[in-house]
Amino acid sequence: MRTRIRDGSKTFDVINCIFISFICCIMLYPILRVVAISLSEPKYIVAGQVGIIPRGFNILGYKIILSNPELWNAYKNTILYTAVGTFLTLLVTSLTAFPLSINDFMFKKSITIYLAITMFFSGGLIPTYIMIVKMGGLNSFWVMVLPMCLSAYNTFIFRSFFQNIPAEIRESALIDGANDLRILFVIILPLSKALLATFALFSAVSHWNSWFQALIYLQDMKKHPVQMILRRIVVDERTDLIGGGGETEIGDLIATQLLTPRNLQMAAVVVVMLPILCVYPFVQRHFVKGVMIGSIKG
Amino acid sequence: MESHAVNATYKTKEVGKFKSFFRKCVKQRYLLLMVLPGVVIIFLFNYLPMYGLIIAFKDYNIGKGIMGSPWVGLRWFKTFFSNPMAVRLIRNTFLLGFYYLLWSFPAPIILSILLNEVKSTRFKRIAQNILYLPHFISVVIMIGLLKELCSMDGIFNTIRVALGQERVNFFAKPEYFRSLFIGSGIWQHLGWGTIIYLAALSGIDVEMYEAAYIDGANRWHRIIYITLPALQSTIVTLFILNVGRILSLDYQKVLLMYNPQTYSTADIIGTYTYREGLQNARYSYSAAVGLFMSVISFIFVLITNKLSKITTESSLW
Repeated sequence: MRTRIRDGSKTFDVINCIFISFICCIMLYPILRVVAISLSEPKYIVAGQVGIIPRGFNILGYKIILSNPELWNAYKNTILYTAVGTFLTLLVTSLTAFPLSINDFMFKKSITIYLAITMFFSGGLIPTYIMIVKMGGLNSFWVMVLPMCLSAYNTFIFRSFFQNIPAEIRESALIDGANDLRILFVIILPLSKALLATFALFSAVSHWNSWFQALIYLQDMKKHPVQMILRRIVVDERTDLIGGGGETEIGDLIATQLLTPRNLQMAAVVVVMLPILCVYPFVQRHFVKGVMIGSIKG
Repeated sequence: MESHAVNATYKTKEVGKFKSFFRKCVKQRYLLLMVLPGVVIIFLFNYLPMYGLIIAFKDYNIGKGIMGSPWVGLRWFKTFFSNPMAVRLIRNTFLLGFYYLLWSFPAPIILSILLNEVKSTRFKRIAQNILYLPHFISVVIMIGLLKELCSMDGIFNTIRVALGQERVNFFAKPEYFRSLFIGSGIWQHLGWGTIIYLAALSGIDVEMYEAAYIDGANRWHRIIYITLPALQSTIVTLFILNVGRILSLDYQKVLLMYNPQTYSTADIIGTYTYREGLQNARYSYSAAVGLFMSVISFIFVLITNKLSKITTESSLW
């Protein structure tokens, strides 16, 4: 439609497109670079001859990372935390938001205030830590899924979404003898699929990416999510931990220049990043929709 | 006699009130059942920690518990302010938050205006797909990427060499910390930040642009007089929100990025609280430091909201 406007500023269009393409390159460059390093042969890496295209071919880094049982265990943990955490988030948020969307619910106002207060005040890191430790949260499974599963902000978005569903639906179902639990699960939630899908995605991404909770509450490394393994390899630069017992083997490989620690580190980054990169193109639209839902009422 | 009667009616009224309350409870029992888990979770993980804040005024000892530990008044606050580190921490927190806002706030506005000018929907869609991607990458991965870019033969050092400068280890130099933190933050959230502005722009009637074009407005005029005014209320709202959040920096990201060599610019209240509280187990002291910061932060929100109420009509509440 807007192509009808022609005022000879073609140059602007061209420069604009080039500029945006340049920004896109900046977004992609680090990712390509990491893949390139992970696949390149050490001699080229050491000589600084690797750009964004791998030189030589070297999958030793991947072999070592992928043959590490610790990584697979961490992946399993992450999937578990993500699945349970996302399910709980949707369940508890829907359960809390639905009564708040009903006008004559007796505690509508008080619970809204009860929730809203948490948007402005919090105990902060240390008191939260002490309380969770007192509740037995150290090394527990629930500490990874329960504390963050309900936020006031999400509840209010859910509430306003539910409020857009005509109240007559609930009233006629009540007359037909259904109770509110049934109404929520059989009528309201199926009507809210778009909302649930976007929030499931947001919640899944935040669980997948979370690491701090694990850092402070999980001392048992067997329970660590994959981001914590990556943190040890990349941030603490501990190559000794990634071999899963084969440290001497890695040492030999490094000594004979078949491998550099950077191969390993970057292979680890790629292995952790890959699921997000694979899923992203298919679900990207839903995320954008989610921001819209949030910004209309939020 | 009279008072007796009054008393009696008062009582029946009370009983009646209680009865109707009880009847309502029974009638709405399913709704009550539904909110119960949420109310409990919020109580356990939000309200109990707020109560736990009183350890900032006590000498908390795990053995004695919160109630049993003795009160010490403002001792921990005094300890913090007599610590020469305090000034540096507060300064670092303010500066990092301020510079972050300064650089990261305008970027998505400019980018969304530019994206709005793109005519090919195909190009626009592909560009948006790429631009949103970094938002979904975890902080840990991002630090991995950043370390690679900052390595001795990474792109930043290659550019430095091309400009005739020496290679440096960026992660060990305090003077680069803020740029790395802010730059990587922009890299991650720039594209994502445009969504909300693009939504506001999609509401503009195309005929406005056409009418302006017929009246002789060039592209620059159209951006200034149509596009920007359409964004104004979104910009103001987000600006207030962000100024209010200026002090709630992502200290978890700082934890991944900093090291003792860069503490002089990188150490902020959040990371200090983490170190003192969880690594050195000085619970009361770091709870006090955290509380001090939350209070300052809250005052900031109140002030910005007040200012925005005076200067414009939009405010958060």
